[in-house]
Amino acid sequence: MSNNQNDQKDPKILVFSTEKISDPAIDLAGLLKLHYPATAYTINVPCSSGIKPRWIMHAFEKGFDGVFIAADGTDCPYSIECTTKTGELVSKVHGMMKEKNITPARLKMAAICSVCAEPFVKHMKTFHSELSAMASN
Amino acid sequence: MEPTTTNIEKQTAAGVDVTTYDALVIGGGIGGEEAALNLANMGYSVIMVEKDYSIGGKMVHLSKVFPTLDCSACITTPKMSETIRHPNIEILTYSEVRGIEKDGKIFNTSIVKKPRYVIEADCTGCQLCEQACPVVVQDQYQYDLVGRKAAYIPFSVAAPRVAAIDIENCTLCGACERVCPPNCIDFTMKEEVIDVIVKSVIIASGFELFDAKKIPQYGFGKYKNVIHAMQMERQLVPTRPYNTVLRPKDGKMPDNIAYVLCTGSRDKTIGNPICSQVCCMYSIKQAQLIMGALPMADVTIYYMDIRAYGKGFHEFYIQTKNMGVEFVKGKIAKIDEKDDGDLVLHYEDIENGGAPKTATYDMVVLAVGVLPQNNIPELFKNEVLELDEFNYVKQTDKLVNPGMTTIDGVFVAGTSSGPMDIPDTILSAGSASAETASYLRRL
Amino acid sequence: MKQKIGVYICQCGSNISDYVDVDKVLDSVKDLEGVSLVKITMFSCSDSTQNEMVDDIKNEDLDGLVVASCSPKLHLPTFRNVAIRGGLNPYNYVQVNIREQGSWAHSDNPKKATEKAIQLVKAGIERTKYSNALEKTVIPSEKAVAVIGAGIAGMKAAIELADMGLSVYLIEKDFFVGGRITQWEDLCTVEELASDTVTRLYDEVKSKDNLTLFLGATAENMSGSVGNFKLTINIRPRYIKSDFNKDKIEELTGKCKTLTPNEFDFGLTKRKIVFKTYPGALPDIPVVDIKNAGDDINIINEFKDHLDLDRKDESITVDIGSVILATGSDPYTPKVGELGYKEIDNVVTFQEFKRIIELSPNGKLKYNGKDIKSVGYIYCVGSCQAEGNMYCSRFCCTCAISTSLSINKRFEKIRFYHVYKHIRTYGKQEVLYDQAGRQGDIFFKFDEDEEPVVSMVDGEGTITFNDLLTDGEEISVSPDLIVLVTGMVPRDDYKRVAEVFKAPIGRDKFFNEAHPKLRPVETVIDGIMIAGASQGPKSISESTKSALSAASKADALLHKGEIELEPTLAMIDTSLCEGSGLCIQACPFNAITMIDAGGKKLAQVEKSACKGCGWCLAVCPHDAIELAGYTNNEMEGMIESLITV
Repeated sequence: MSNNQNDQKDPKILVFSTEKISDPAIDLAGLLKLHYPATAYTINVPCSSGIKPRWIMHAFEKGFDGVFIAADGTDCPYSIECTTKTGELVSKVHGMMKEKNITPARLKMAAICSVCAEPFVKHMKTFHSELSAMASN
Repeated sequence: MEPTTTNIEKQTAAGVDVTTYDALVIGGGIGGEEAALNLANMGYSVIMVEKDYSIGGKMVHLSKVFPTLDCSACITTPKMSETIRHPNIEILTYSEVRGIEKDGKIFNTSIVKKPRYVIEADCTGCQLCEQACPVVVQDQYQYDLVGRKAAYIPFSVAAPRVAAIDIENCTLCGACERVCPPNCIDFTMKEEVIDVIVKSVIIASGFELFDAKKIPQYGFGKYKNVIHAMQMERQLVPTRPYNTVLRPKDGKMPDNIAYVLCTGSRDKTIGNPICSQVCCMYSIKQAQLIMGALPMADVTIYYMDIRAYGKGFHEFYIQTKNMGVEFVKGKIAKIDEKDDGDLVLHYEDIENGGAPKTATYDMVVLAVGVLPQNNIPELFKNEVLELDEFNYVKQTDKLVNPGMTTIDGVFVAGTSSGPMDIPDTILSAGSASAETASYLRRL
Repeated sequence: MKQKIGVYICQCGSNISDYVDVDKVLDSVKDLEGVSLVKITMFSCSDSTQNEMVDDIKNEDLDGLVVASCSPKLHLPTFRNVAIRGGLNPYNYVQVNIREQGSWAHSDNPKKATEKAIQLVKAGIERTKYSNALEKTVIPSEKAVAVIGAGIAGMKAAIELADMGLSVYLIEKDFFVGGRITQWEDLCTVEELASDTVTRLYDEVKSKDNLTLFLGATAENMSGSVGNFKLTINIRPRYIKSDFNKDKIEELTGKCKTLTPNEFDFGLTKRKIVFKTYPGALPDIPVVDIKNAGDDINIINEFKDHLDLDRKDESITVDIGSVILATGSDPYTPKVGELGYKEIDNVVTFQEFKRIIELSPNGKLKYNGKDIKSVGYIYCVGSCQAEGNMYCSRFCCTCAISTSLSINKRFEKIRFYHVYKHIRTYGKQEVLYDQAGRQGDIFFKFDEDEEPVVSMVDGEGTITFNDLLTDGEEISVSPDLIVLVTGMVPRDDYKRVAEVFKAPIGRDKFFNEAHPKLRPVETVIDGIMIAGASQGPKSISESTKSALSAASKADALLHKGEIELEPTLAMIDTSLCEGSGLCIQACPFNAITMIDAGGKKLAQVEKSACKGCGWCLAVCPHDAIELAGYTNNEMEGMIESLITV
């Protein structure tokens, strides 16, 4: 996949997935052997609108290059307003990131439905290369 | 009748303790497990009788399942564990129902527990006996692909995971007895007859695989590189014996493999005119798995019609076709073996003028069909359990009460009533358990 | 903090160990603080390994458990039970997914898959260290179920649930029961007529005291969760009194003049505005289609004493513990011009053909006044398409062939041409295919990628295709009637129903089951079951089976009258709460209220209403809320472990 040179700046991504919606899609990606960067690590939570900003900031502080929120979207079992709420959360954290001089582009969010394995893989690949580009610039 | 709230009620009949259960489930395959678990979860007590050493039926021996390619053992074992551990379910393995007699609202049932020569409660499944045993015979759970010992754990995910002694092949050397840490090997074990009373019966005894030797022109049993689909299945499981697919005659990795669909199905000459429902799909699935295991191999599937009828099946078939598996509509007349073990298929190429053609393959897989277990009616001593024209248990009210049979209080689940895939078996078992529950309430 | 954690690394046969070096994982975690035991297992889920874990927990006095294996979706409950059997709180167990999100996802790079697995296992251990023992709350649940749709599946499920002792609300949007099967009379593979089946189910429905049937009713809104849902139902008026005078209504019907196309007959016939969908429709009460009354409104007003014209839509709310969706299917409607549909006179769909049969006089099959002596079927219309509906509709081959056989019992010999892509008479239905061939039906097969063409040739509707059974020769047939064997699609209002119940929809637009193999009637939403053709195309018998399965699942859930709730609930740290109230605004379940604690305003969580979504956590300006199982310690501990090599 990558040679040694690239290995050194293989960006690390923390993915927040949701138990009922996006995590099944990420599982499905594995089941279908759709490969994505192995430095993407997933932690699942009940709902993407329930992620604490401090967890995201903690990830950046500890050395993650990027954080990706695999949001529930309109399929959210809790509320149809979920996308808006997760969006608000992301804007709030973007503000916090600016204060700490972290490029807001390092936090991304996309709605991933329970069978969206392919979109997830695409997001991971794109995000991974964007983060790589940020590192080399 | 309300569901029995306590586990199992004891009744004394003729001075002997006879245990009463709400339901007897015959067969511990996926259908029997689903039916038993549903009833147990609804609060009824169940006794399950399984003729094999382990529950799990045929499904636990499959590699992956279509069309999701889930690992079969991975999704079956939780069901097996749940069944074994449910407080409302009692399981007798390596046991057979000998007779069921209806007596008013109850069925007097006699069950024979055959000796496995290992005390189940004490065995820890440590496998030391297996290591010590000097006898090697063909392993029936691996469909004779590899060997096993005469003292052995049936298979890795067996439940219960308890050793058994294959007394037919045992030399009585005593090696196993000497190494067994809890001293649980007992050669004096005898057949035990257990009488119980049950209030209802669910038949979930499953199906038989068609014996490919009955079509001699295919050469199964004579040509080593002609195998049947369950043998291929075992070569593809996660715990596969060779870690790849090999042809039996010389251990060579095959470059091209042919599937012969409808072996023993849709064939009046062998007495089975119906379609087996699963062979098309399991062959397509195996073709995909072979392409994973042997990326360079070509797979050709000879079919009459592709029966990709279930949810997600047609999509899976198209995906397989797009992966490069070749589908040829053609009936195989016969198979010849060449000196090097390669096989020549003689077939009618229906879509290209119907001319007789031949093609050569390294290995041929016979997609064997399913057949009914035909000894079920014998279990009923004073009532008649009717079979349908294909020798499956007759459903007397297929549309509205699909589990109902000719005996009131006896229900049928899964492939005992006809060929079925796994989801249909689950639905059929769910249905039989619901019908049994309402029957018990009416009692 | 947990100090004696047991870690099990599963090979999953070879599903994991083919790509992840499990020995290396073991080496990397065995000396971590808090880990007292690490083992590699072949199948962690097998009964024997479970027993081994139970023994280890007891013998080694473990206080935490980690299994690194497959997705928690498969085995979280399995290993939580192992924990319980060992005497450990199930929430001190953490499952680490190194298969779906490890070995399989990164099978292209075993080195990296192994590195990832190591980090994931470390994070799992860290989470376990900070995990708290949690207890499930038990709340009373309703012993009642709503069944949506009174077709065969819905009626059967309702009857069985009532037999099991639960209260049942059977909700049908139409004014008559029976669903799609009422449009047919001859059924496949059985002698029984559809009307007999519907009648006996309807009689049973009526006979149950604990079963309430709502007709003209739709589910509008649902709140709550498994065990305690509140469902609002809207009931439209039939405008006919329940104690109606039959003669008077017949008189009214006779006087009505306005005719509208009869949907039941796909517009092949017209009906009046006081009508029953078909003569035998049940219940035997007509309905007044007041919206389309036109000039007939005057006649209707004349009879107002016998009608119920002032009745308005009624809204009622029922308390239920579970729902079975049995909303059925619609036939696929070809686009105008698709295989000549609606452009060439003698092209109809299979479902229209079934009505044509029922509407034909004895002994003569007629369409548009013309005698039909030959029929050409084109199969897989709206099914098995390269684009569009990719799925097979399962019932059509058998039903089309069965109809070609049964039709000859009612009419003079009719010749059938079957122009097919695949014939899928699976199982015992195979014999029908064989019989059709022996009856003299002619079968042609066209290529999957080369659909037939229907056009006018010499004034006749003609099917043209290349027949694979005769070496691809181009063949044209011009039967009296061209029948497009159309498949099943979900009911037109499936999206609305899915929204009300939050039911998941699959790629084929049918409701999606929790697991296609082993959980075909449950959904990922607890308490919501799916039955019949709403889950995917099915025969009647298959629909009944799924309805009964769903009923047994609902009963297993509700018969005890109480339900266990996950302890994943929001917890407020009163020492930090400043009473901002932002959590109250954020909560989608109104589970948080403000209380006055000696002059200080404090937020308080109502346990039975909290669903554990965590929305309140994210908005609290003072970080005064934690979610059980997702505390800052657990989450940040995991994050740190994932990145620290």
